[in-house]
Amino acid sequence: MTPTLARPNASSPHEPELEPLEHAYEPLGFVGSLGAAGIDLIVGARELYSVFVRTLHYVVRGRREKGAVIRQMYEIGNRSFLFLSITMGFIGMILVYQAGLQAKRIVPDFTLLGATFLELLVRDFAASLGALMLATRVGAGIAAEIGSMVVTEQIDALRMCAADPIDFLIKPRFLASIVMTLVLVVCAGAISFVAGGLTANIAFDVPLRTFFNHELVDFGDMAIGLTKCLAYGAAIPIVSGYCGLSTFGGSEGVGWATTRAVVNTSLAIIILNFFISGAGFLVFPG
Amino acid sequence: MIQFKNIVKSFGPKPVLNDVSFDVPTGSVFFIIGASGVGKSVLIKHLVGLLYRDSGEIWLDDEDISKFDESRMGAIRKKCAMVFQHSTLFDSMTCAENVALPLRKHKHLSLREALAEARERLKVVRMQEFADRYPPEMGDGMRKRVAIARALTVDPKYVLFDEPTTSLDPVSARRVDALIRELSDKLGVTSIVVSHDLTSLFAIADRIVMLYRGKVRLQGSRADFKSTEDGVVQQFIHGRATGPFEL
Repeated sequence: MTPTLARPNASSPHEPELEPLEHAYEPLGFVGSLGAAGIDLIVGARELYSVFVRTLHYVVRGRREKGAVIRQMYEIGNRSFLFLSITMGFIGMILVYQAGLQAKRIVPDFTLLGATFLELLVRDFAASLGALMLATRVGAGIAAEIGSMVVTEQIDALRMCAADPIDFLIKPRFLASIVMTLVLVVCAGAISFVAGGLTANIAFDVPLRTFFNHELVDFGDMAIGLTKCLAYGAAIPIVSGYCGLSTFGGSEGVGWATTRAVVNTSLAIIILNFFISGAGFLVFPG
Repeated sequence: MIQFKNIVKSFGPKPVLNDVSFDVPTGSVFFIIGASGVGKSVLIKHLVGLLYRDSGEIWLDDEDISKFDESRMGAIRKKCAMVFQHSTLFDSMTCAENVALPLRKHKHLSLREALAEARERLKVVRMQEFADRYPPEMGDGMRKRVAIARALTVDPKYVLFDEPTTSLDPVSARRVDALIRELSDKLGVTSIVVSHDLTSLFAIADRIVMLYRGKVRLQGSRADFKSTEDGVVQQFIHGRATGPFEL
């Protein structure tokens, strides 16, 4: 074979005949930036939906990796237990104390303080606040891990091994998160209630027997709470996994992915909370 | 035979490849050289669907694969393995498990069968003693050899090496060179090597293409590169700091 010279005599330091590769481009104006942000949002939402649908597909049809879900249950559940217990315990104390102060000012009757607090915990606070705490710990961890794998080409290596990153990385986290979010929220909610009861007893002399009252909690509250646990448990790995997979650049990109994961997962939890609560009030109006 | 025809690729407003065309002869050790960031790794990733071109065609064994979607790329990835620049072994898996992964996914072997086969494959790169070690416990050269073993598990016809000797000591680098040469000579595997390593280039390359500012600057044999009067090529292959070469 003979050598092929694209530009045989082009050895001048200035290379006048070479077209510049970096084309100048006009910076976008306000409307253009707004449009670009809108398009990014739509593309992002479409990709997020695609990650969710593909995860469900692999949950139903994918091959089980031995021990993968259990490992993630340990990572997501056991390693978050202490953090979640402490934060929810303190939140329980703060909420009961503040509610007690308000009640003391208006109707100095604490009979329903525990029952109302329990209803609030079961219906909303345990799941929502617990999930927000989980989003910071678990969501950031998932995004950082997957983001690092993207920038070090491990995700490409997975694809070369015919292993879909959604099946291999997101699916086990999705299954583990759904189970462990429920377990953690129930445990952390119980701790929050007990911590609130002790606070009420110490600060307002509410007898424990009076505080630990579940008469206001009905099936509707439990159904809404359970629905929220499942929805948040699904949203955390999907949103943070998507943020990790869409990482670009180097370590700075991983940092951005982690920040985006925490922000977007928290946002997803709050939006889901709004819709599930709305649906809950329609289905279980009591 | 692999053919790149008029490949154009940009990342946002930044053009990287601009009308790149060349052929890779079957069974050869084919080097792609050029400055850092010129698009060498980007180019070979198009071949296995890790990136998609803006325009142009990529032909593999008389089939235009440039429009293949992710599902159709599975067969191409079985045919074309890739060894990445940073080895990309999975830290949570042992070396044997890393090598077993493509056997399980591509060949659908059970875990037990795949691990047994992986241990055999590790013998080829003389890493059988480290089968149960985790990648972080090993050096760069050892990890690179395991990554090569992983790439070869599916008996590919083509292997893409992305800077295989970067960050290796000279002895490990020459062993990797010898392995690439052996793959071509004994098994007839076509190797596409993206590299800056001039020692490797002049030791094992059959054909070379040089990319410069998004275009093919020169393609030919080792002798063609040594004898060219192109100042840019001469400066690059002799590693001179001054000259017409623009970054």
